[in-house]
Amino acid sequence: MGETILDVSHLSVRRGAQPVVDDVSFCLTAETDTALVGPNGAGKSTLVQAVLGLIPRQQGSIQLLGHPLGPRGELPAAVRDQIAYLPQQFAAKGRLPLTVAEFVALGWTPERPTCPLSLSGARRRQRREAVHQALQLCGCERLAPALLSELSAGQLKRVLLAFCVVRPRRLLLLDEAQAGLDAQASDHFHNLLFELRRSQGWTILQVSHDLTMVRRSCDRVLCLNRSLRCSGAPDHALAPPQLERLYGSGFVPYHHHHHQPQGVQP
Amino acid sequence: MSAEAPTLLVLLALPFMQRALLAGLLTGALGGLLGSVAVLRQLSFFSDALGHSALLGLTLGVILGINPTLALIPFAVLFALLVSRLIERSRLSADALLNIIYSSSLAIAVVALSRMPVPGASLEQLLFGDILAVSWLDLALLAGLLVASVLYLGLTRRRQILLSLDEPLARSRGVAAERDRLLFVVLLALVVALSIKAVGVLLISAFVVMPASAARLLSRSFNAYVLLACGLGAGGAVLGLLASGLFNLPSGPAVVIVQLLDFLAALAAAAGGRSGAAAIASSGDRGR
Repeated sequence: MGETILDVSHLSVRRGAQPVVDDVSFCLTAETDTALVGPNGAGKSTLVQAVLGLIPRQQGSIQLLGHPLGPRGELPAAVRDQIAYLPQQFAAKGRLPLTVAEFVALGWTPERPTCPLSLSGARRRQRREAVHQALQLCGCERLAPALLSELSAGQLKRVLLAFCVVRPRRLLLLDEAQAGLDAQASDHFHNLLFELRRSQGWTILQVSHDLTMVRRSCDRVLCLNRSLRCSGAPDHALAPPQLERLYGSGFVPYHHHHHQPQGVQP
Repeated sequence: MSAEAPTLLVLLALPFMQRALLAGLLTGALGGLLGSVAVLRQLSFFSDALGHSALLGLTLGVILGINPTLALIPFAVLFALLVSRLIERSRLSADALLNIIYSSSLAIAVVALSRMPVPGASLEQLLFGDILAVSWLDLALLAGLLVASVLYLGLTRRRQILLSLDEPLARSRGVAAERDRLLFVVLLALVVALSIKAVGVLLISAFVVMPASAARLLSRSFNAYVLLACGLGAGGAVLGLLASGLFNLPSGPAVVIVQLLDFLAALAAAAGGRSGAAAIASSGDRGR
């Protein structure tokens, strides 16, 4: 087995008095793609946010790239820079006059921390170059001068991946990355994610409702419904009896995508 | 022009007018700068409430016998911190809470002032501002605040954008959201406190909201947006003050009317430019 990238041990999170995540333990090894599945309200997003230290945990310990996450989400900046998180939706993407290039540059940080005043010409060039490359890798270099508010859902997702790839990362946490995408855009997104994961050596934890995609591209599945109900390879974890236990009886397990004929662009 | 109306040159030679123009330049630039972030963070109404409540701070200054400007500074900062804490904790929506707070502080202040007027200032001057009464001390404070704001926002540009875009995303990048919000609210409170004399209690939020909104309509990048908001704020203030001097109009409202004209022009320009902007985004897909 490879290096452990994320180690979650006996994690419990409450929202108010309500336990949302209860005694969850799992490990992610390097360069694996793990899906987190479960019904609405199962605590998937909460789990991801707790792993990042965005919400406090009641119990348990979390190690990211070998560094313990502090009780209030403290993590050395050098470690945090190697982790990227993509939320489901941006609160204010329409309000902000921000170009795609400016946005992707926000994901960039220098390898060594420096005083912000000393963002020298060389650093700026380095950043501009990194942004250009990231956009190219994600096939959206033409979008550089567009405003975030002008992008389609599919374009925005590709730009988000450029935000992740603009600097070397080891761990990616995606919260329903394919939400709001039609079948074709979702395929594009996952193909790109798959390519990048292999070329960049990313370890991925992604919350997903798309079990077809999970079965096709993930190595491992964690089934969460407040506590971890089962985990393992997709064939095992997504077998009908396990799904029925997770979602309740009468569950229709797979989304049926109506693919458009090949070669037709939106 | 009639014989009594001052010409531009005569006006510019008057020391109080020079101070007023400098004050306009500074408050306009400050309003535009802080406003550009405040509007993105949906703090426009918060700045409005701060402005209205400032009258209560002035009243307290009078009751305690302190220089009203100096009394207003700690009042505005404490008030801003208290209210933002209250908004976080309360189950009421922010706009309802802000409405309750600002209308009641305005009411209390006006009742108190009817009994105990501020020496040398009418209620109308307090409500609408009297930029001609700006002192060198006010100017020095405004200049210091402008330098502090430029430094703070310049150094925290990345954090400010991330926080305006999405708080969980910002926090995942290591931004201390809570601390940054409080610092920004303090800065906004200081701007409101120091601009009240020139702009007045009722119109202060226009200085924060209007230039930023006009700039938002015209800008195609974040840097351009902030610079344009500053420029529109400062330019609108100077033009408004000159108009107020030349045509003997109340200064605060004259500036706000100029800012309104800027905003309307931006609306018209944005409507004209929108079709071109959409083309850039759609051309990006052809690369696929």
